[in-house]
Amino acid sequence: MPEIRVTPLGAGQDVGRSCILVSIAGKNVMLDCGMHMGFNDDRRFPDFSYITQNGRLTDFLDCVIISHFHLDHCGALPYFSEMVGYDGPIYMTHPTQAICPILLEDYRKIAVDKKGEANFFTSQMIKDCMKKVVAVHLHQTVQVDDELEIKAYYAGHVLGAAMFQIKVGSESVVYTGDYNMTPDRHLGAAWIDKCRPNLLITESTYATTIRDSKRCRERDFLKKVHETVERGGKVLIPVFALGRAQELCILLETFWERMNLKVPIYFSTGLTEKANHYYKLFITWTNQKIRKTFVQRNMFEFKHIKAFDRAFADNPGPMVVFATPGMLHAGQSLQIFRKWAGNEKNMVIMPGYCVQGTVGHKILSGQRKLEMEGRQVLEVKMQVEYMSFSAHADAKGIMQLVGQAEPESVLLVHGEAKKMEFLRQKIEQEFRVSCYMPANGETVTLPTSPSIPVGISLGLLKREMAQGLLSEAKKPRLLHGTLIMKDSNFRLVSSEQALKELGLAEHQLRFTCRVHLQDTRKEQEMALRVYSHLKSTLKDHCVQHLPDGSVTVESILIQAAAHSEDPGTKVLLVSWTYQDEELGSFLTALLKKGLPQTPS
Amino acid sequence: MRFSHVSCAENCGLIMDPECSRLLPALCAVLADPSQAVADDTCLEKLLDWFKTVTEAGSSLLLLQENPCLVDLLSHVLDLKPQDVSPRVLSFSLCLAGTFAAQEDCFEYLQQGQLLLGLFGEAGPLSWAAWSVPTVRSGWIRGLRSLARHPSGLHFLGDSGALDALFSLQGDSSLFVASAASQLLVHVLALSMQGKAAGSPSPQGSAWPTCAQKIVDHVEACLCSTAAPQVTQALNVLTTTFGRCHSPWTEVLWGQLSPLVAHLLESDPIPAAHSLVDLLLSVARSPVFASADCGLWETMARMLSCLSPTQAGPLALGTLKVQHCPQALKSQAFKILLQPLVCILRATAQAPGPPGLLDETTEGGSMTVDTLLSSKSACVGLLCQTLAHLEELQPLPQRPLPWPQTLLVEAAVIVLQLCDGLAAPSSSEGGRLCGALAGCVRVQRAALDFLGTLSQGTSSWELMPQVFAVLLETLESPASSPTVLKKAFQATLRWLLDSPSPPTCLNLGPHAPLFLKELFPVLQKRLCSPCWEVRDSALEFLTHLTACWGGEADFREVLLASEVPKLTWQLLRDPESYVRASAVTAMGQLSSQGLQAASESSGHPEGQQGLVGELLHILSVDSEGFPRRAVARVFTEWLRDSHADVTRDTQWFVATVLQMVSRDLDWEVRAQGLELVQVFLAQTLGQPNPNCPYAVTLPKVTPPSPLPEVLRTLCQLHIFDFVFRALFDCDRPVAQKACDLLLFLKDKTAPCRGLQEPGDSSDVTSVEATLQRWQAGEQGEPLGNLEPEEVLAALRSMDLKGLQSRLAESSDHVEKSPQSLLQDVLATVAVLEENVADCY
Repeated sequence: MPEIRVTPLGAGQDVGRSCILVSIAGKNVMLDCGMHMGFNDDRRFPDFSYITQNGRLTDFLDCVIISHFHLDHCGALPYFSEMVGYDGPIYMTHPTQAICPILLEDYRKIAVDKKGEANFFTSQMIKDCMKKVVAVHLHQTVQVDDELEIKAYYAGHVLGAAMFQIKVGSESVVYTGDYNMTPDRHLGAAWIDKCRPNLLITESTYATTIRDSKRCRERDFLKKVHETVERGGKVLIPVFALGRAQELCILLETFWERMNLKVPIYFSTGLTEKANHYYKLFITWTNQKIRKTFVQRNMFEFKHIKAFDRAFADNPGPMVVFATPGMLHAGQSLQIFRKWAGNEKNMVIMPGYCVQGTVGHKILSGQRKLEMEGRQVLEVKMQVEYMSFSAHADAKGIMQLVGQAEPESVLLVHGEAKKMEFLRQKIEQEFRVSCYMPANGETVTLPTSPSIPVGISLGLLKREMAQGLLSEAKKPRLLHGTLIMKDSNFRLVSSEQALKELGLAEHQLRFTCRVHLQDTRKEQEMALRVYSHLKSTLKDHCVQHLPDGSVTVESILIQAAAHSEDPGTKVLLVSWTYQDEELGSFLTALLKKGLPQTPS
Repeated sequence: MRFSHVSCAENCGLIMDPECSRLLPALCAVLADPSQAVADDTCLEKLLDWFKTVTEAGSSLLLLQENPCLVDLLSHVLDLKPQDVSPRVLSFSLCLAGTFAAQEDCFEYLQQGQLLLGLFGEAGPLSWAAWSVPTVRSGWIRGLRSLARHPSGLHFLGDSGALDALFSLQGDSSLFVASAASQLLVHVLALSMQGKAAGSPSPQGSAWPTCAQKIVDHVEACLCSTAAPQVTQALNVLTTTFGRCHSPWTEVLWGQLSPLVAHLLESDPIPAAHSLVDLLLSVARSPVFASADCGLWETMARMLSCLSPTQAGPLALGTLKVQHCPQALKSQAFKILLQPLVCILRATAQAPGPPGLLDETTEGGSMTVDTLLSSKSACVGLLCQTLAHLEELQPLPQRPLPWPQTLLVEAAVIVLQLCDGLAAPSSSEGGRLCGALAGCVRVQRAALDFLGTLSQGTSSWELMPQVFAVLLETLESPASSPTVLKKAFQATLRWLLDSPSPPTCLNLGPHAPLFLKELFPVLQKRLCSPCWEVRDSALEFLTHLTACWGGEADFREVLLASEVPKLTWQLLRDPESYVRASAVTAMGQLSSQGLQAASESSGHPEGQQGLVGELLHILSVDSEGFPRRAVARVFTEWLRDSHADVTRDTQWFVATVLQMVSRDLDWEVRAQGLELVQVFLAQTLGQPNPNCPYAVTLPKVTPPSPLPEVLRTLCQLHIFDFVFRALFDCDRPVAQKACDLLLFLKDKTAPCRGLQEPGDSSDVTSVEATLQRWQAGEQGEPLGNLEPEEVLAALRSMDLKGLQSRLAESSDHVEKSPQSLLQDVLATVAVLEENVADCY
């Protein structure tokens, strides 16, 4: 039974680390290979030992597809490819391929810095992993092998984020990764064509949320930053190197320009330059406005945002600093936070989610007295703000995408169970399709009915048309021919052509049947009676009595013989070809009823 | 030492400290309240980790008695209406109860209140709606797994009906749950047999203890089942059992079950073939069966002959790895493993090979090209698997003898030629193979890996021309993908470096120089590839080859006559940072070997000095860390190896590099700077005392100068400024390294008598004050021109040992502590509604 099987190893009823296994028409694909930032041990990676209990990973998996560069989608990739031992192809878009190693490297540096971890992937491993990547363009159909093809669609969310269609023959699955259905300052909205996949695997982070206006959030953000610097305070914005940071930079840059503000804005670790480079390189991935104005002014060449130097943190007066990492768990952002936390004039704005075990998580949960190393206590007097700028589709957006793609069924990942349940019901009601939400480790199996294309020879079609096909051209019609399966192609040809092509001689298959009749007359007389009976019954057919005593009706041959043991019984031997099967069965039934009595 | 034993134990979370104990009731109240949600699902996992550490270090019973809220939480979960229980909290409670019940006295304590029966018995969560949530089932199994450690736990499992539930959970919809159930059954079986007398068990079924008997009966019933999943489950339990338990009872178990296992081979197709292969290999590997036969080898031989080539491959490989396996079985397995390659060699044979070679290895091998090519994807899969299996086998001591090295090399070469589309087989079968494999990257990758491995152990250098030819073809081919090229470079490197040279030959052997002449134009071309991956792989290849062969006259001649050094120089300005970093390393290596002459003719008349300037330029302006790190590494190596450019003015070199490195935003560059300082100090002051008395001390470049003089030099070069700054670096590895360095210096300067004692006349207070400001994070102010006396005084006054032990701890150990975890869980509850769960 052909089927599609989906098993999340991560992102099944959670938002921790995406890793979904899909098996479609015998091909096995891994969708994303993410890491859970909330764990410090092996639990941060998906448990890959479940992928295949037997055999090598590289033989089992046909490819890995990465939807975008966030670590919960690609963070386990170097571990998987260089430490677990997957050696096959990895697909992602060009921007993802360029930016992914930067974030992986950033994370590696923090992990090693923070804990002096030895059992973690190295820079060389990240590079070796990235060398296995095959970069794809939007809407480009990429043949992974003869049967498996993939195609990327724009997903918004972050630069280079893509949804992927995975197709084998007529069966297909679409995986959205993270996506955003509304355009923002630097990215466009996700889009997919009406590809009618058998299954749509969609993220559901905001499954129950209708997000408030982005403009409000932006205004709020700018107001808070402005007020703080106006009163001489410093603003710290912990961010991850690339991604939403650029959205916030554009926002501040535009505001500074408009308000003619002079307060310095810094971006730490030289990443503005890098970001600038990539945003210029992948300008086609940004939104229309940025692309249009690019010639006059590159939106990513910031006038007001300068590179940060560690010494600047001690400078008096107001300033705004974007610093990495985003959860205040190590490095520069944490160092600046420690310096500025004691002053109530200052502010820290957390633009994203923080996992437990980080200072970011602590201050967001309202803790204001933080224990530091050596039993020191840091009193947080600065203002703490949380403003989510993550770009996910909300419930409305998800429904919109389902409507756009028109899938046969939907599977929800990357969300919380409770919220998923709500959305599941909504999707089932509105679109009348099945909707699944497997937990991690659970397999969803969908039966499919694959349609197999068959080529028909022109000769055969013409012959059929000559038999009156034209009158009801649009109605399905039974067509007889010989099916030739060769080199995974299916063709229907006339039997003559098939014989010729395959160099075969024709053999005739005949069905035979014995009909016993109570009759004492001789065989010849019996045959004559059969002939007369059939001649009168079957007026439209050619009935013949041959010199050897046998009777024929088209290809049907009837011979009369004596019964070996009972002289009062005669045996009629009836044989017919496959082509005359209907007539043969009719005749046998007719003869079994007996011959009409001859007038004596 | 600042940290006492107790405080360390507290930090490690080994004991329940008073603060945690104080927070526990609030935590339990939050967990027991169905209206409160715990924010981060990792929190509960981390809490369990902590409880596990605490109970492993002390008495669980005492813990429960001192913290009654814990038992209250468990009772409360049971008292709630099943629909009110949060699956996550329920799962947590099940795991927690199991953790406590792992100690027998605590188990009895919890049993008194019927808590365990309530949680794990049939009337508990097993019958609740929450059971449909996999996390709950998983928690139930984890709880039982912890609990099953002692005879009372074992009885509990037998009496509570848990075993029956486990049997059905083996077929659970969740892979995790099914696997955990299976593992637990094995654990229970092993535990109950462990409890039995150590004497030899009786083969009679009645001799098994109750739990074991029940499990064995279940396995037997499953093996007789016609449903494939049941057979698979039984086989999996047995595979794990024989893999983990190596006591004599396993032999009895196998004796009892092997007829049923053998019976499975009579079905066509064989049910659960993969699992059956795993079981047979698991039994074969068990030391219990090392001397006994038990019909195992016969079963394996039958299995090998029944399975399809793809299924038989893993069994054949596994069989060949078993040390004590009979020779006949090994030969059978090896033939099966070789079949696809032999089939290809036959189909593509241009002329009859060495007499009898194919016949010898393929006797009984009946695979035809038709079978191999029944479907293209199956053919590709089988070939990749075969190549990988043989690659795994090649370096093993137990590989079959005689090992057909020549045949394998030829096979790998022909497979590569088929993939490249360069083979010209005369037979129609060969033509079909060519059609199927041409351009197949998967097979190409596997064949190149295999060919690379074959470089080891090739004693005959006659094979080299054809190997080099195919590698060159692959490297040259415009159709080769970046991954294929990388593997081709790796295989080439292995063949060049491992290649045997005839005894008469003094250096590289007869083939390598000829090959190098052909290789370098290809290398040049690849250094100019539009793909960064290819440029990088080519540079890595060049670096390794130069490191090994830099001294060989043939190699030097070919390299210097080529454009490679010039191109490598140009790649220092590559747009891709990975390539720039590799180019830096390659140039560093070339320069170390004096192979950089070509750069003079390439617009860099300043030659060697030009390279130092270029590398310093990269170190100061490159926007990415990799190239800067590579430069810092190259400079350290140059200093270590007394590179001519460095020894020209070592002090200027060290001072200039450190000046740049100290400003670097990448902590790994700063750490590398400290490495450079360490090498410099070792050269001027002598090596650090080796821990091993037998360690070989490297010869010193120059005899150590008198200490006061050295210290003065270090001050003049601002090395102390750099190291002290690094000591208070916000990135811990830098601080750690700086601390180690200063301790080394302190150790070296301790006997220094030529300098004044602290406080005699020099004023160290300003130095100390600056250092304190640096420690507080204000590093704007420089130390200024230090005097050796000030440095020595500062070194003596600092508690470097204390700092070293503080730095040895993870920088987030405070945030990771149990107390911090409890505070976080409690704090989060209050604001959960405000900040809805989010992600990136």
